[in-house]
Amino acid sequence: MLRTREDRRALVRRIEISRVAVGAVLSLLAVAYWSIQIVRGEYYFNLSENNRIRAVKITAPRGYVLDRNGTPLVENEPAYTLHLYRREARSLEDSVRFIVELLDLNPEVVRSRVERGRRGPEYVPIPIAENLSIEEVAAVEARAVEHPEFAITVSQRRQYIRGGSAAHALGYLSEATPEQIKASNYAYAVGDWIGQKGIEGSYERLLAGVNGERRVIVDSHGREVNEANRLEASPGQNLFLTIDSKLQEVAEEYFRDKVGAVVAMDAKTGEILALVSSPTYDPNWFTRRVTAAEWNELLENPDKPLQNRAIQNMYSPGSVFKVFLAYGALSMGLVDPNMKIFCPGHAEFYGRDFHCHKKGGHGLVNLRDAIKVSCDVYFYNLGKKLGIDRIAEIASSFGFGKPTGVDISFEKSGLVPSEAWALKRRKARWYPSETISVAIGQGPLLMTPMQIARGLAGLVEGGRLPTPHLFYAAQAPGTNAPLRYTGETTSTMPITPEQLKIVESGMWAVVNEPGGTAYGSRVPGFEMGGKTGTAQVVGKGVTIKAGVDKSKLQDHAWFAGFGPVDDPQMVVVVFVENGGHGNLAAAPLAKLLFEARYAPKPPAPVQAASPKPRLQTVSSRDPR
Amino acid sequence: MMRRMMPGVARIDPVILVSALALSVLGVLFIGSATIGTKFEGLAGRQTIFIGIGLVAMTAAILFDYRMLLKFSFPIYCVCLLPLVYLLVFGESIANVRSWIRFGKFQFQPAELSKIATALLLAYLFENEDETRMRPATLVRIAAIVGIPVLLVFLQPDMGLALTFLPLVFVGLFFGGLPAKGWVAIALVVAVLSGAGWFVLKDYQKARIGTFLNPDSDVLGSGYQVRQSKIAVGSGGFSGKGFRSGTQSQLRFLPVQHTDFILAVIAEEWGFLGVVLVLGLFAALILRAMKLAQIARDRGGMFLVLGLAGMMFFSVVINASMMIGLAPTTGIPLPLVSYGGSSVATTLLGIGLILGVQYRRFANA
Repeated sequence: MLRTREDRRALVRRIEISRVAVGAVLSLLAVAYWSIQIVRGEYYFNLSENNRIRAVKITAPRGYVLDRNGTPLVENEPAYTLHLYRREARSLEDSVRFIVELLDLNPEVVRSRVERGRRGPEYVPIPIAENLSIEEVAAVEARAVEHPEFAITVSQRRQYIRGGSAAHALGYLSEATPEQIKASNYAYAVGDWIGQKGIEGSYERLLAGVNGERRVIVDSHGREVNEANRLEASPGQNLFLTIDSKLQEVAEEYFRDKVGAVVAMDAKTGEILALVSSPTYDPNWFTRRVTAAEWNELLENPDKPLQNRAIQNMYSPGSVFKVFLAYGALSMGLVDPNMKIFCPGHAEFYGRDFHCHKKGGHGLVNLRDAIKVSCDVYFYNLGKKLGIDRIAEIASSFGFGKPTGVDISFEKSGLVPSEAWALKRRKARWYPSETISVAIGQGPLLMTPMQIARGLAGLVEGGRLPTPHLFYAAQAPGTNAPLRYTGETTSTMPITPEQLKIVESGMWAVVNEPGGTAYGSRVPGFEMGGKTGTAQVVGKGVTIKAGVDKSKLQDHAWFAGFGPVDDPQMVVVVFVENGGHGNLAAAPLAKLLFEARYAPKPPAPVQAASPKPRLQTVSSRDPR
Repeated sequence: MMRRMMPGVARIDPVILVSALALSVLGVLFIGSATIGTKFEGLAGRQTIFIGIGLVAMTAAILFDYRMLLKFSFPIYCVCLLPLVYLLVFGESIANVRSWIRFGKFQFQPAELSKIATALLLAYLFENEDETRMRPATLVRIAAIVGIPVLLVFLQPDMGLALTFLPLVFVGLFFGGLPAKGWVAIALVVAVLSGAGWFVLKDYQKARIGTFLNPDSDVLGSGYQVRQSKIAVGSGGFSGKGFRSGTQSQLRFLPVQHTDFILAVIAEEWGFLGVVLVLGLFAALILRAMKLAQIARDRGGMFLVLGLAGMMFFSVVINASMMIGLAPTTGIPLPLVSYGGSSVATTLLGIGLILGVQYRRFANA
């Protein structure tokens, strides 16, 4: 075959031909689109109007919450919600007028909800009213033909069985905010409930489960014609809390008319057995949708019921701090436990006179006695010897000044002052005289009740600090394998058992020896140890002049207890705001709690029973 | 070579550059519209980043002498095929397909880059093949050059992406001067292979072809996409329902509306005018590129431009036909417009190569 070099013109000609072909094919495509969009445009337009897909969410049933013994704390109950589908509405104004009249709703509330919902994509239905009665549901359904824009959905409403009980541990649900929706990467939509605070917030993912979705074909009246496909929801897990309802009830009963907080915790594991912050609030308010007025009432309440005092409020620990100081000084080898100091009822340091709480003085006291009678002069001297930076080191080693890592949010870290802190925060040198105040738990030193509980657990366990937690176990419905908490304990400040015995013996004497500051709260047949504390209200002098309610100026009462002394299992921290003295206001509850846990039966570790929740398969459905 | 690095910006072809940029911008706009309020929101921003990367690659491709690339096209080709082999052996499956390589938060589809490398090697083949009639040996070489990456991609298995290589075969055969007898022979082989291929295809692939042939057979299953896409396109009418107001698109019945079905969203929201705009921009880009091929300085340049333009033309036609049921849904994106980082970046790189050929069209350039 003869081969010749190709003439470039032949190639150019082929390109020319193919250019015409390319132009022709693209033109033909345009013609095809013309025939669909223009010639048959109306047909398809009607199809798009009448034959649309509506995505209906299948809300996953939220997991129940139970206490450690399987006593239910939070469940769900059916609730009817009214939704507005904007695409179905001829006029939003007319729709609002109609529904307001039909169900006697507050027009302002409805309008504001419609406005809020309009910011989202059009296909997302706007929730208009919740918790409709059966009669209201029937009324809406009866007018479905004239007003296809309204649809009722059955959902599960969160029910906090015991109202305000353990509310701060549980948290509550509220509608997801736009920020939360964005943060969730649109896993949540407008009108979805999301856990706030407490374990509802911390374990949202576990409890919420995964929503499903149905794609239904609806006609121009919004009635379901066919289901295109369906993705089932997977229900949330049931959550078992470390809370023991029995102890929780005792603590709540005690705080019925008091303001303050209680933490009862397993000394070894950090399991929180009771958590009270008083006054409390009823989380059911939020699921029934609070009105603006109710909200304001809650927010403006001077006692701030929403605050979790156990972790969000920081207080001076008062004399409770003395046991930590004693322990630290012993482990550093800076104090001879047998050395006695004479307490005349006051002492002078750095040119200032400091008083002991006992006017006449305690006379000669050693370390154990100083703890038992809470002698201020003894600890003034000890504090002076240690200096502020060593005190800060001791406090930090018990976890003070840092969050405890408890599994609920908004925890405060407290404050441990030091020389460096004074320079950094106050831009001034630390006054040595302040060290004297800090030694008895006053001055800038601040702690949360939770921190004290953890610190005390660490102390009686010889330096092992557990992480406090409410999570006991979680279990997916239908499975038997519970998910267990795996927290870690941090080890600090090793101490010899002999040295620890001295502190513990002092704390035993506080409760069990005549003359101990909490002798009145001894538990018959049970060895509880502890330490009382009284914290002065900050700015007392100033507020007196301002003429504030006198009861708000009373000292705060503390009691931090543990037991049994020879093998500590539970620590209890009781804090009563403006309660006066710790021995009178706070210690009696510790007694009640130890009695409730140990008196009726011989002391035994709480059974880690395999939790058997009452499972109930529930799924929301569209009534149409 | 280096003295030519200073770009005479005025010599860059404005028609191609402007069309490519306009299509990319349209893509970002409608990816935004198609993903508003979904978990995909934010992809428009990502696409912008990929366009930026693509523009850098494009500039580099213009400045770099394509003849150099042709000379090294075989090593380039081999290097680009390596990740495809790697994927088949170690690749992690995303949506049942092993076609992505992960770099932290980003994924890269190496097959896109191998398309360019294949076009380069093919052009290099024809740089030296200048007979009037194609020799059988050349035929075999074309088959091998294109066949290897096609096979590797087909095994991933990504049938759509594998198909986008095929225009290179046509470009080679047609412009390389395959005689009539050759076309007949190839037609026979294709007929036999497609018969056999039916047994190789996965069930879902068969289902798609089946639905293509009879779209109403399965309204809620495989035919569902085609039907809904046609409703979206048709209901757009002459001027559309308005940007971000498409009822079909905003109801998200189209499963991949920001990627493969982006044209349906444009057709619904901007109507026939939007479709004409998109097709017009592609026509301008492709026809202009072919014009440039005619005046390219050497055969290698001509075939490079023809190969790249051919692949783009094929993708546009198949994708646009898919929307209205004229082609089976094969997962071929609309170049530059559909969401997809690797696709948009390498398409811009390819356009840079086309512009580079035009930029150096004078013999002494």
